[in-house]
Amino acid sequence: MKKKSLLSLLLATCMTAGLLAGCGNSEAPAEEAPAAETPAEESGDAEAEAPAAESSSGEAVTLTVLAGQSTTDAGIEDMIDEALAAKYPEVTLEWECVDWGNDFQPKMQQYMQSGLPDIMIGKAQDVATYAPQGILGEIDASYLDKGLDAARENVTIDGKTYGLVYNALYQGVYYNKTMFAENGWEVPKTQEDLQAIIDDCNAKGITPFASHMVDTWSIGNVTMQFMMNDVFNNDPTWGDKFRAGEVSFSEDEAAQTAYTYNKLIFDNTYPETFSTEQTDCDAKMVLGEAAMKVSGSWSIQNFLDIDESFDFGIFPFPNQTGDSKLIFEPNITIMTSAATEHQDAVNKVLDVLTSDKELAVEILDYTKTASMLKDVTPTFTNPSQADIDAYAADGMIVDVTLGNNQLVWGGFQEENAKDIAAWLQGDESFEDCLKASDGRVDASSAN
Amino acid sequence: MNEKKKISYMEKKMSRQYFLMVLPGFIIFTIGLIVPLVLAVRYSFTSWDGMSAEKPFVAFQNYVDLIKDPEFRNAWWFTLRFTIWNTIIQNVVALLFAVALDSGIKAQKVYRTVLFVPCLISALVVGFVWLKMFSNVLPALNDVLGTNINFLLFGEKRTVLRGLLIANNWQWIGYWMLIYLAGLQSVPGDLHEAAKVDGAGPVSRFINVTLPMLAPAITICVVGITTGSLKVYDLLVSSTKGGPGRASTSVIYQTYTTAINGRQYGYGCAMSVTLVLVLLMVAMVQVKGLKKKEVQV
Amino acid sequence: MSIGKKKKEKEFVPSQPYTKGTLAVQIIMTLAAVLFIAPLFIILNYSFKGKRELYLSSPLALPESLNFDNYAAAFKKLDLGTTFVNTLFYTVTSVLILALLCGMTAWAIARCSRKFFKFAYIYFIVGILIPYQALFLPIYMIGFRLNLTNTRHGIIFMYVATGVSFGVFLMNSFMSTVPLELEEAARIDGCSVFRTYFSVVLPLLKPAMATLVIMQSFQIWNDYLLASLYVSKKQLKTLTVAIQSLFSAQSSDYTTAMAAIVISVLPIAILFLSLQKYFIKGMTVGAVKG
Repeated sequence: MKKKSLLSLLLATCMTAGLLAGCGNSEAPAEEAPAAETPAEESGDAEAEAPAAESSSGEAVTLTVLAGQSTTDAGIEDMIDEALAAKYPEVTLEWECVDWGNDFQPKMQQYMQSGLPDIMIGKAQDVATYAPQGILGEIDASYLDKGLDAARENVTIDGKTYGLVYNALYQGVYYNKTMFAENGWEVPKTQEDLQAIIDDCNAKGITPFASHMVDTWSIGNVTMQFMMNDVFNNDPTWGDKFRAGEVSFSEDEAAQTAYTYNKLIFDNTYPETFSTEQTDCDAKMVLGEAAMKVSGSWSIQNFLDIDESFDFGIFPFPNQTGDSKLIFEPNITIMTSAATEHQDAVNKVLDVLTSDKELAVEILDYTKTASMLKDVTPTFTNPSQADIDAYAADGMIVDVTLGNNQLVWGGFQEENAKDIAAWLQGDESFEDCLKASDGRVDASSAN
Repeated sequence: MNEKKKISYMEKKMSRQYFLMVLPGFIIFTIGLIVPLVLAVRYSFTSWDGMSAEKPFVAFQNYVDLIKDPEFRNAWWFTLRFTIWNTIIQNVVALLFAVALDSGIKAQKVYRTVLFVPCLISALVVGFVWLKMFSNVLPALNDVLGTNINFLLFGEKRTVLRGLLIANNWQWIGYWMLIYLAGLQSVPGDLHEAAKVDGAGPVSRFINVTLPMLAPAITICVVGITTGSLKVYDLLVSSTKGGPGRASTSVIYQTYTTAINGRQYGYGCAMSVTLVLVLLMVAMVQVKGLKKKEVQV
Repeated sequence: MSIGKKKKEKEFVPSQPYTKGTLAVQIIMTLAAVLFIAPLFIILNYSFKGKRELYLSSPLALPESLNFDNYAAAFKKLDLGTTFVNTLFYTVTSVLILALLCGMTAWAIARCSRKFFKFAYIYFIVGILIPYQALFLPIYMIGFRLNLTNTRHGIIFMYVATGVSFGVFLMNSFMSTVPLELEEAARIDGCSVFRTYFSVVLPLLKPAMATLVIMQSFQIWNDYLLASLYVSKKQLKTLTVAIQSLFSAQSSDYTTAMAAIVISVLPIAILFLSLQKYFIKGMTVGAVKG
């Protein structure tokens, strides 16, 4: 009996607590958020009052933001909130943060039918997906001018720019500098150079590559890196030709070569790669158990967390012709809704993002990424920065958005990676793996 | 005559009131589940991508494609194996545990709690925990023991099902065990005594006295485990993500990637419809079969 | 856990002599219990480890010190103040609505023999046979058609809608334990159907309600798919959805994730441990031949 009353007491407490906490928001319709209790909004409701000056800067506005993030980005929303509150306290952001890889696109699909949020944060390749639908707003040049020109190219469609690229990742082969120096290895330019290092590693009992194939996304990611240098560098419209039926994975040798590099890695990594996650993989790299890792800037956070003094560099994975470029990926890209009712407030957010350098540095340091704003340089130590600068100086950098626009990630690259995994493990023949990619031709374009 | 009229009037009034009581649940259920079911069927005849306004009608094309789709067949193959093994292992082990706990061992309550706790954890978490168990913790055990057991169960197509079965059974055995335990404890002691007097051994007593009394518990467990396994998704999201390759992609997982990530909404709906049909069939057969047994005893 | 309670339980299980067989069973069960609890220990163990410790020492080694940093980090990363209350609110509200609704529905179905009610029963049962997971696509679709996504009432509505059929089934199988005579007596006293239900039947349904509440609470508290489809706004997120983001692709610190797991499991585990007897009684009611 006592327990019964305890249960009911507990339930009642839960209920009250829940209700108290819940009421505040549950009654406010989706469009107007908690901030609705401010005086400005009230005056809007009371029709008898003189119409408030609509454009007055003091009017409280809540903007909805859909942010497709990778985990390394999670947390920047608080930084933006803080900076925004300092400069424009009247603008509040209502964040909806989702995983970019899995949930951003579904959310966008949903909002395309029910009305877009005021601001969307995704990746540069999203612009090509959504701008043609006519739902994205053009970004004012005054904000774009604060960003690097290089950032505009792949977010501009028919002369109009729909995305503000905020930061960038670099992708390539991270290598243990100390290990390279000790063994007298040079940064490889060609496949032969790379093979020589691999052979030397194997002879010395060093694992050539760290990898984490349990994450299918990682296979997909490195495959795109290979495709960039072996396929798209020679033929930027390979994807269009693929859809036109002119080329295919089953017949194109360059594309097949890109796929087979996966095998090279798989054959030269530790056996448990299909049970190893990124964190463990990065740890192995830092602890000197492997010499190289095909990856991207998202590994830096881990590298430095495990050992602040880990010395590493980056080079592009060598292609057949020995002219690989370092891969650069515009990452956080801010898009706005064409139909927003609060363009002023949206612009205020863009203003904070482009002109608050402290905020920019804070975000870049946190995400360990490179700046796409003029005159902003992150302050975190990035041992691979010297390499990046060298490739940049030689113009040996290529924007992966090109490849991602030609062959989309969700439904295509991502699915192909699963076949590659099955092939690597011997559960599927290489021919079937290629055929499966060919069979997905309809899903290879965003539009 | 008058009396009859009065009764029928009363009955009418009452049934109206009964009707009012059923109505809210009926409406909510209809909107939340039946309408989606109808929608799924409707969309399954289109090639809709989930975004654009037009939903081109393609009749049975999606279903024709499904039959030819190796990924879809693979997803079913995985789901069926997962379901069958789960149903067998969970039922048997749960029942054995229940019998063991009911055999008069000490600290029954402690065991009960320990075995039950994993099911309080979300399947999502269970997947993540076992991913760590298989890839980090258990291999370290090899180092300690100096053995060389392959614990990397999620890393290979051959073993991934085993790994997932371990994770799933770890989570749910305690739950079904409790249901069996309650069934066992409801068996009146004098029934056993009577059987004992008749000279029945412990095994025959179990089969002839205990099992029949467990019939309702068995029905609940079998149906619960089967439907629970056919809809596996959460567990995969945080552990194998359907991999390696597509070796552990369940039907729902495949539907999700096809419809949402691959923007083939109509096709995905066709997948959903096949799953619904199978679920209906399986459940009907089971409920009918098991109910029959219940009635017989 | 008081002594009085224990005695009571003993009455049900006739005490048996402790034989060799029982000893063997005891040993086997102890082993099983250790195996079952090991992963829980691992979670706890990880949750106290520092990031570097994670890579430099064996996963089996105990943490160097009781380090609560991960808990602090998890608290912040999960936005626990919000997500915890959200999850609690969704769970409690849905479950209470379900209890109210299912009891009523099941009783009406059991008592009225008109065709519609027979049909209604089968109609509801269909819902058990088709778990909502199989229909997540159109459920997701209908959600934003009706503006239910990213609202509190929306997800509660869906939890109720997807839980109703099991609830009705469960309650219905329980109706035979409600003596008709009592109801008839109430009716003769002039009670309406509603009065009869609320004053006579409902109190008798308490154990069944407990079953329902318990089974649905677990499901809703731990639900991932529906929550991930329906609520993604920061201030509406549930615990599981928030935890998932700690697990996902490039997450760098799973020690934080482990601490988050402990935090999320703790309340429901405590609830279970403190109300264990009541839980079990409720949960297993349907399984016992009545």
